[in-house]
Amino acid sequence: MPLLFPHEDPSDVRSRYKPEVIKGDMDSVREDVLGFYANLGTEVVDESQDQDTTDLHKCIEYIRDFTSDIDKSNICILVAGALGGRFDHEIGNINVLCRFSSMRIILLSDDCLIHLLPRTHCHEIHIQPSVEGPHCGLVPIGMPSKSTTTTGLQWDLDNMEMSFGGLISTSNIVKEEKITVRSDSDLLWTISIKKQ
Amino acid sequence: MELMSHSSAFLLPTIPPDHRPSLTYALVVLNQRLPRFTPLLWKHAHLHLCADGGANRVYDEMPLLFPHEDPSDVRSRYKPEVIKGDMDSVREDVLGFYANLGTEVVDESQDQDTTDLHKCIEYIRDFTSDIDKSNICILVAGALGGRFDHEIGNINVLCRFSSMRIILLSDDCLIHLLPRTHCHEIHIQPSVEGPHCGLVPIGMPSKSTTTTGLQWDLDNMEMSFGGLISTSNIVKEEKITVRSDSDLLWTISIKKQ
Repeated sequence: MPLLFPHEDPSDVRSRYKPEVIKGDMDSVREDVLGFYANLGTEVVDESQDQDTTDLHKCIEYIRDFTSDIDKSNICILVAGALGGRFDHEIGNINVLCRFSSMRIILLSDDCLIHLLPRTHCHEIHIQPSVEGPHCGLVPIGMPSKSTTTTGLQWDLDNMEMSFGGLISTSNIVKEEKITVRSDSDLLWTISIKKQ
Repeated sequence: MELMSHSSAFLLPTIPPDHRPSLTYALVVLNQRLPRFTPLLWKHAHLHLCADGGANRVYDEMPLLFPHEDPSDVRSRYKPEVIKGDMDSVREDVLGFYANLGTEVVDESQDQDTTDLHKCIEYIRDFTSDIDKSNICILVAGALGGRFDHEIGNINVLCRFSSMRIILLSDDCLIHLLPRTHCHEIHIQPSVEGPHCGLVPIGMPSKSTTTTGLQWDLDNMEMSFGGLISTSNIVKEEKITVRSDSDLLWTISIKKQ
């Protein structure tokens, strides 16, 4: 965080950007960092006994089950640093989207974002052209899709089958400010984030 | 069921002469930052293709991997045989430079239905005649990271050419397909890869996968998105075996040297 505010005092920046919670199996966080935030009042939740779920999974569960001081009926979880690096980490994060498919969770990197379009709903995606696009894609994660229909894309799908080994929609382009998607299968929506 | 054997010998400084299977390597460079071991891959490969903007990467970044050498020397040494794709990313000056050195430029800008990587794989499969293709293994540098739709499109190329050996590589890890048609032996090179690994049922759930050699082995286990997939696993032995009813992606971390 201090690197993103190069003209400010690092201590000021760190005090301003203090997490409420640090959670996970604690095998990566540095002792000095943990101590610094604990001293400022951050809650440290050590889950090192649970090796069956990823750190992101533990955090989603925490937000879902334990946070009481925010309105959870319309919660959307933004996940920074979810992509890139080790592929097994990345795909594990994508699987968290699928495991918590009734929650709004958005994976973010410098280059793009990903979120789930659950098959239980028709979807309208309102594009913010100043910050995202035009490159986008739709991915049938986990199961082939027998039928997907879209509007608003350069290469719209019309009752199209999608599957790995066959067609998936990548390097597509958003043409309109409202995209609609209807599918028989859970899809990942991904769109590029503009470099400012 | 027939056995298929895998190893990351191409990450070793020298491939042992008795190494089996004996493979011919081809290298495809995509438009992402070059992995730091790209010169090593280049050395092992008999054929070197740049997919469109991958040529920019070789031109700009190979000299950076040899900071004590003259950039022109490095560029002449690392000259691809082919630059292929829809040519919307490669710079004019880069294209001209390699064309002058004899690189074949294959412009596929009329074909917007397939990715640049797909075009390169097809080219290697259909047109290269001066290398032994019976045991070819295609190494793809710069396949991961960046835009997710590019990355997942590259992974789909593995699935579309499931009878070919294609390995996607980044600085951090590699990915390749384990087709359901075979039992698999993966021979780990612990000096260059591991211990973090994973198995991913891409495209279809797996009703039954069985492994040996991992910290958390699977025993006739179901895997699917929304349920269990094997990530943050650890290789325990130098030989991993995998048997599944479904195509799986194998991924393993690459050690920072």
